[in-house]
Amino acid sequence: MVTQAAPEEERSRRHLLDVAGLDWRSLQKLLASAGEMQQLLDAPAGGSDALRGVGVTTLFYEPSTRTRISFEAAAAALGARVTTFSVATSSVGKGESLIDTVRTLEALRNHVIVLRHERAGAPWLAARHFGGSIVNAGDGWHAHPTQALLDLSVLSRHLGDRNGSLAGRRIAIVGDLLHSRVVRSNLHTLTTAGATVVLTGPASLTTGFAEHAASFRDTPGSVQLVATIDEALSGADAVMALRIQRERLTPGELDSLEAYRAAWGLTESRLAALAPHALVLHPGPMNEGVEIDPDVADGPRSLVLEQVRAGIPMRMAVLQQVVSEARA
Amino acid sequence: MTDLLTANFADHWVLDPVAGLAGVADVSVVAGQIVSVTWRDGEVAARACWAAGANPGPDDPTVALLPALIDLHAHFRQPGADASEDVESGTRAAAHGGYGTVALMPNTEPAADNVETLQRAIAGERHSVRLLPIAAATVGRAGTQVSDVAALVKAGAVAISDDGSPIADRVVFRAALLAAAAAGIPLIEHCEDPTLTASGEAADGLVASRLGLRPWPAAGELRAVESAIAVLRDIVVTAPTARLHLTHLSTAAALEVVRGAQGEGLPLTCDVTPHHIALTDGWIAGDRRWAWEVPVDDEFLVPTTAAFDSNLRVCPPLRTMIDAFACREALRNGTALAIGTDHAPHSREKKEVEFGLAANGIAGIETCLSVALAAHHAGELSLATIVAALTTGPALLLGITTTSVTPGAVASFVQVDLAASWRPSRATLLGRSINTPLLERELPGVVQRTVLEGHLAYQR
Repeated sequence: MVTQAAPEEERSRRHLLDVAGLDWRSLQKLLASAGEMQQLLDAPAGGSDALRGVGVTTLFYEPSTRTRISFEAAAAALGARVTTFSVATSSVGKGESLIDTVRTLEALRNHVIVLRHERAGAPWLAARHFGGSIVNAGDGWHAHPTQALLDLSVLSRHLGDRNGSLAGRRIAIVGDLLHSRVVRSNLHTLTTAGATVVLTGPASLTTGFAEHAASFRDTPGSVQLVATIDEALSGADAVMALRIQRERLTPGELDSLEAYRAAWGLTESRLAALAPHALVLHPGPMNEGVEIDPDVADGPRSLVLEQVRAGIPMRMAVLQQVVSEARA
Repeated sequence: MTDLLTANFADHWVLDPVAGLAGVADVSVVAGQIVSVTWRDGEVAARACWAAGANPGPDDPTVALLPALIDLHAHFRQPGADASEDVESGTRAAAHGGYGTVALMPNTEPAADNVETLQRAIAGERHSVRLLPIAAATVGRAGTQVSDVAALVKAGAVAISDDGSPIADRVVFRAALLAAAAAGIPLIEHCEDPTLTASGEAADGLVASRLGLRPWPAAGELRAVESAIAVLRDIVVTAPTARLHLTHLSTAAALEVVRGAQGEGLPLTCDVTPHHIALTDGWIAGDRRWAWEVPVDDEFLVPTTAAFDSNLRVCPPLRTMIDAFACREALRNGTALAIGTDHAPHSREKKEVEFGLAANGIAGIETCLSVALAAHHAGELSLATIVAALTTGPALLLGITTTSVTPGAVASFVQVDLAASWRPSRATLLGRSINTPLLERELPGVVQRTVLEGHLAYQR
């Protein structure tokens, strides 16, 4: 791996475009910061004014509930001025380009843009044309950094050692890998934290992932692709079901939702094979009865709501970090 | 137009790919005509030097004279997209790139499927650059009905092509190949199976998977190449004048199939582009190493802030260092007879957008020679291979003669300082669009003068 030039690293730190390239120390720092943010949230004041005067806009080109609300709650808890940019009713509908949009937002005194976009790499384009900070809230199939960070915070809390490391832990991720920005980002954070990640899913939705898995050579943890869910669950400390992204599927990629559940769904009977301590995650939104059964999602092993809750402090930590890097 | 040139070019590294001569020579030009070429060590040594690759030694002069270059594949966007390029800006850029002859693809708006549009596509100030129009193979490039090839050839078309798209319907492809054969010109095919490549953003492989870009499979090119060759094989017995040229091939697999078919004696040629010989898909992640500098299994996978540069969106997409190696090997072993620039200028509106929404193409006519020279300096391609691929190779396809650096010829050559370097930028590029991933990169080979038809067409 070629190391990036130092000036570039400095430039890139004022953004959170990706978790690829973040080392374990950077991850630990964010985990610790999110812990402090949780204490702020739990305190009577319920937040701080660390970002007073900072303009934060959520610019979402794709629908979202939890990510957007979570970012807006995080920004508000730090005292930022929060604007929701509605793509549907804005000039974007009149054909305004992404570059023009971020330049306009900069002129309107926004310091942070939280960007969700259906195309991989859109935050990189925005970052090259925005004087403030870009936080990637999901770009196409590519990356979902804050989801991976909050997943790490949850897993680290339950399965981590004293330092939060996941060394020796096996995390299974099941489902539609091809279209999943969640899995792509989680592979970076989990392997950097030392975990062994075991991937599985239907062949049509794991295209390219054998090579992809093997490319995690230089990380503390490793990645394997296996053919069946039983192999993936065997010995797993946690299992994450990925959403079947019906909007991204092309014909032939999936036979039927029933067949998918039968082969790949997280059902009570499958979970019976797991170790007693093993946990269940899902990045949401869930197709209950497809990739995960309602009983499992609401069951004692489920961390689904904890994942949602972990979003706010982690996004506070991210916003705080990018703003302080931009100020520095 | 400038006056006819009279000048002496003493002590230059001179390449004459037509006669197969190379070495130190003095070239004398009087009134736009080469009156003498005096080889310092004599013609026998010059012939041996060409055969050995025409590479200058450490003590040889670093300023070279080569025949004006010939591009078999460029887009000047006229008519229809003059904001991106037109004949005036395109030929200005071409002269800067060392080109004296450019064949223009017909995917204009409207398509050059009729005599009037074909003539409009080459009309205007040309800076002494010769323009050869390629006509659309099918009406409207729609792939359903073959154009009036005979009329288009009479009007000057040197080939037919639906470039930008394949002729996907193989019955129509066969008819177009036969029509071209009857008219004595080649069919130039853009090899892509659209059923496999629809919505593809980057070459299928590790980089695309890591970057979450929609995959454009290698099979998309291979299948199209195989089926095109199968059709050619079927008709060549009854249509012996048929000629098929596959343009901008990019995969090791397709080039291997082409080489096999050439071995059968089929009338089949191909070209590769400067970007496919020199860049890899790792550039999309921010890698800036030349393809030959990338070790096996050392792909650049963690995106830098320079990642997702839309100037790297191109069809066919950039591939691995192995495919880039195969493209260079095809030039070395003769499978590919030319480097075609596929100069594809696009306006900022079409390029400064999200990677997957950007128009395909790289503006490359001003940097092609430099990219080839970068490969040369790295020991990847001999000067003889480069010069042949930029002059006599494309001339053979287009049915024209190369005006070489030889006594009695009209002066049409490029003077290039092989040792000097330059940086493409808004200031140094002369074309209307600067959609190249090589912006601000130091490139070897500075064109000092381009002399065309006896006139100075470009001077640094």
